[in-house]
Amino acid sequence: MKSLVMVFTTASVLLLAGAVQAETKPLVGSAAAGAQKNEMCSGCHGITGWRTAYPEVYNVPKLGGQHAAYIAAALHEYKRGERSHPSMRAIAATLSDQDIVDLAAYYSGTPETTAKN
Amino acid sequence: MSIKSLTPSTLAIAACILLAFSGVAAAADLKAGEAKVKQICQACHGLDGNTPIAENPTLGGQYPDYLAKALRDYKSGLRKNPVMAGMAGTLSAQDIENVAAYYAAQPAVLVTRH
Repeated sequence: MKSLVMVFTTASVLLLAGAVQAETKPLVGSAAAGAQKNEMCSGCHGITGWRTAYPEVYNVPKLGGQHAAYIAAALHEYKRGERSHPSMRAIAATLSDQDIVDLAAYYSGTPETTAKN
Repeated sequence: MSIKSLTPSTLAIAACILLAFSGVAAAADLKAGEAKVKQICQACHGLDGNTPIAENPTLGGQYPDYLAKALRDYKSGLRKNPVMAGMAGTLSAQDIENVAAYYAAQPAVLVTRH
């Protein structure tokens, strides 16, 4: 009986450790995956000289070569409503955390990134 | 003075003078922009807009009107960032045009990626 308890306890601890491990593992962004996910982005950010019309007219920012961590932070801020642009908020709301790191990797030009959530 | 005495060159000069007083924001001054960047922006964004700090955006070659809009939004609080609010708060409207033009004129690190 004692050994069964031991086995059960060990198994539980290992499972719990595994669960905790999975939660804290940082997401890895893949530029190849990001390239498959950017249809919503390229319509504005992929055209040289494209300008947003509302709420003000100005050039949509270039993203190619931008730091991945900055792109990811910006997308998270749009997703949380901390940045104001209405279209970006709407688009970011549709993105998962994995999408965000993948897009950040793609636009930064690095093949793979690890970004904190 | 008859209308015939208004030569094209006279009219051109008159037009230029009128434009100068038309209230359009003065063209960006790259030298003043560089001075301001060295004072305020360089520490985090680099002199050419390249920064090794991953969380700070690269600015070199970005569209100047986008950079100016971002600075105005930081200054007004529409875009909330305690660090940038402090930085942009010290800039006048003309300073904003100048630094935006300066970074936009740097060798393009940023490109349009389709």
